[in-house]
Amino acid sequence: MKRAAPTETGQVGRSVPRLESWLKVTGRAEYVHNLRLPGMLYGKIFRSTVSHGRIKRIDVSAAQAVAGVYRVVTSKEIRQLVPEPYYGPAFHDQPILAIDKVRYVGEPVAVVLASDPHVAEEAAHLITAEYEPLPAVYDEVEAMTSKAIVHDELRPAGTFPDLKHLKGKKNTNVALDFHLRRGDAAKALESAHKVFEHRFHTQQVMHTPLEPLVSVAECTEDSLTLHTASQSPSFVRIEIARLLGWPENRVRVRVPFLGGGFGAKLYIKLEALVAVLSLLARRPVKVSLTMEEQFFTITKHATTFRIKSGVDGGGRIVARECEVWWNGGAYADIGPRVTQKSGFTAPGPYDIAHVAVDSYALYTNLPPAGALRGFGIPQLVWAYESHTDMMARELGLDPLEFRRKNLLLDGATHATGTVLRDAATGKVLERLAALMDWQKPFERGTAGLRRGRGIAIGLKACVAPTTSLAAVSVNVDGAVTVYCGTVDMGQGSDTAMAQIAAQVLGVAAESVKVVHSDTDVTPYDMATLGSRSLFHMGNAVKLAAEDARDKVAAVKKEAGFPADASLKDVFKKKYGMQAGSVLGQASFVPTYTSPDANGLTDNATPFWMVGASGVELEVDTETGQVRITRLVNVADVGTPINPRIVETQLAGAAIMQLGFTLSEKMEFDAEGQLRNASLAEYKIPGFHDLPASMVNEAVDAEQRSGPFGAKGVGETATFGVSPAIANAIHDAVGVRIMSLPLTPEIIFMKMQEKP
Amino acid sequence: MAPFELLEPKSLSEALALLDADDARPLSGGTALMLMMKAGVLRPARLVSLSRLGLEKIERGPAGELRIGAMASLRKLETSEVVRAGWPVISRALLRLSNVRVRNVARLGGHLAHGDPHTDLPPLLSALGAQAQISGPRGERSIPVESLYSGYLETTLQRGELITRVDVPAMGKRRAAYLKCTTRSADDWPAVGVAVVLDGERQTIVVSAATDRPTRLASADAADALPIESDLHGSAAYKKQLVRVYVKRAIHEARSAD
Repeated sequence: MKRAAPTETGQVGRSVPRLESWLKVTGRAEYVHNLRLPGMLYGKIFRSTVSHGRIKRIDVSAAQAVAGVYRVVTSKEIRQLVPEPYYGPAFHDQPILAIDKVRYVGEPVAVVLASDPHVAEEAAHLITAEYEPLPAVYDEVEAMTSKAIVHDELRPAGTFPDLKHLKGKKNTNVALDFHLRRGDAAKALESAHKVFEHRFHTQQVMHTPLEPLVSVAECTEDSLTLHTASQSPSFVRIEIARLLGWPENRVRVRVPFLGGGFGAKLYIKLEALVAVLSLLARRPVKVSLTMEEQFFTITKHATTFRIKSGVDGGGRIVARECEVWWNGGAYADIGPRVTQKSGFTAPGPYDIAHVAVDSYALYTNLPPAGALRGFGIPQLVWAYESHTDMMARELGLDPLEFRRKNLLLDGATHATGTVLRDAATGKVLERLAALMDWQKPFERGTAGLRRGRGIAIGLKACVAPTTSLAAVSVNVDGAVTVYCGTVDMGQGSDTAMAQIAAQVLGVAAESVKVVHSDTDVTPYDMATLGSRSLFHMGNAVKLAAEDARDKVAAVKKEAGFPADASLKDVFKKKYGMQAGSVLGQASFVPTYTSPDANGLTDNATPFWMVGASGVELEVDTETGQVRITRLVNVADVGTPINPRIVETQLAGAAIMQLGFTLSEKMEFDAEGQLRNASLAEYKIPGFHDLPASMVNEAVDAEQRSGPFGAKGVGETATFGVSPAIANAIHDAVGVRIMSLPLTPEIIFMKMQEKP
Repeated sequence: MAPFELLEPKSLSEALALLDADDARPLSGGTALMLMMKAGVLRPARLVSLSRLGLEKIERGPAGELRIGAMASLRKLETSEVVRAGWPVISRALLRLSNVRVRNVARLGGHLAHGDPHTDLPPLLSALGAQAQISGPRGERSIPVESLYSGYLETTLQRGELITRVDVPAMGKRRAAYLKCTTRSADDWPAVGVAVVLDGERQTIVVSAATDRPTRLASADAADALPIESDLHGSAAYKKQLVRVYVKRAIHEARSAD
């Protein structure tokens, strides 16, 4: 394998080319999609055609009769193996295949197994099912009071203490209600100089990883191996072991590279299905989704956000009420965590004395929603930064000045009661203003092509509490191997972890080997999500490397060698031959305090992320078409480990959010049928949709608790993009759009409404 | 996808004979066909590939016309020096037709015979007065590209007929423009496509995508009367506005074209 020439100095802070890039561009990187095992069966899923219904009958006889079909499986067969086949990180609410009821169009109902995937697909078309239709609910606000109830009884997983009170609850679609009260928002709003209230909406969208979800299971008499495109191998092992009633050491989860994840490949997706299919068939089983099927697997929450702010005579925000409804779809997935862990940042990066937040996770009859690059934050920033601009304009204040006046600065106390530490809010806003030349007059364009500009800034708290473990070995020849469960899904984590270990051990990052997730080998890690890995796993790898370094020093000392002696000589003496290795290990668990009854805590998060975006654009006044001429993204990512990867992560996040802002939307009809479940009708941005000019910059900052001053970066540039664009459109043509996406038609029609 | 038989005849007569069967379909580039087969919309038992019939040639004909073999790839058309020199409006239109990967695979004949109004060359070639050469069980015929279309995904091609070549008259003093408007992403299929050809005082305007087939407009003002329906590209009202604007702009662009 080719790699860049090793550089011995300055491992951290250097733009080391990605260690796997050669493998990827030559088509040699390992992906589960390419895996074929002897005797392997392919599973093809038969899906529900109604959004809510009681299953009256499933007829698999025609499918079973197709030549080449090995077996057709429904929940009946699964329950012979796993009596309670329900999974999920927050609620045990999702059946491996539908049981008694279906809750959304596209829900898996049966699976055909065949040696030929085309035979499996053809046979799956021959399955028929009859449903007794039930009333359905699709809107997140209606779900609060709807008579249509998605789950007869709530089934919290028991892992999270704040969900315990929901156990066994009936006649509700509320999967979590989170409340935060600081001061007295209602009273402060009454006495405020001016009060503003708005309601915003975001749409349901899809992650669209270019590698669709795929899992393979193979079993022996008493063990099971899963090869899966997963962001959370440790969770998969724990959950599969729980479902099967096995000890964890009988379940092995292997994860090679991922072709993108973005939160789609978290927790259990296809793993429970292939596991039970393999145990039923006693053969390896693979299920690979098509791009189209991904729309029916996991999505991003649609939301409604009512926000109300009171401002004093000096333009200071004194009170804020936030009410957020998260459309979780038919199964909770990680939605309840999004509702709370992101919900508490709903008031935004502003210093507000009186705050009330009510955040609700709702079940509806739509495909399930989970985490998507930002863990709910982009939905919140969309609302509060559009709101901020609307207030500023009504108050006759410059949007930048208004933000400056109210910004929560490092060292101040956030609405939760947690002090903002190493959160460069001020620096990020000022750098954005400088890069946008905000103080300079702005060219407004022509009557046909109006120009506008806008800014937005968002704050995220890293999810807590979570744990990472790592091991680092040093071989007799000095070669370094890192064992960690962080999944490289394209974000460059292998390279970053190698740089951290290399820095500690004084070797070249290019020479370090990073062993991919294999739960038989790599120690526990919570998951690769929420921009947590560089901070948590980075710290664990750093500590493990330091442990290895210390052990090497101890071995040398013990054997009577000087500190600069070669390991070969030391080990030769110690073991009588040139052999042996040193294993360093460490775990990293940041401290955390659970919120009290008012949702307050003095330790809500191990670190904060700050992201701001600025946009210059032009609007075609005859068509509503928007062309973004300049997009500036500024972020606090601490001190970059790899500046080039930081830049591309910021660019990638912003471009992804650009799609969620301008074009992407899952379009459902009145019966909950998805009308555009293919990339032919669901459009993600292509190269020609990118802004003419784009700047991605990390401010000079340090996360003192992070590895070499670093913290997470993958999501930060998603925060400000949507509201910055809406604010710029308003600046250009004077129309305010409060629902995403900002399509040319919506902009044009809104322009016609103007008096 | 259902199993099928793939045949690769080496002569046109052989291809026509093989197509004379139930559930047989010609395979041109396959970019649309494969999607339809994967979706289960089409389930042909036999695919007859046209790739070995020697229909790729792009050349200037005796009357100065452009002759495009039906199996010329869209990419080859885009980069052809002959086309660029004599019919630059075609080269320019191709730059925004889907993406380069699709253009490498898709062929002109399939692009035209597909009958999808959300494509770019049918309105342009119609406006340019191109003729389609057609071979079939009952011999050969030649018809204007404009009369290839009878409705949404419907053509006037008869069972067993193939487009073998497309002839585009020399531009002469004519000036032309094609404008594509997408509403979702830049490489989307058009929501509206407008081709305009100016020949002295004569003005040819052909609108597609918003209509169920390429449709000729008597004048720029005739856009309001077009039958336009709402779909995932936009509402009927919005697409009407786009047609009005893009017809105006295409005329303007054609006037300033070289």
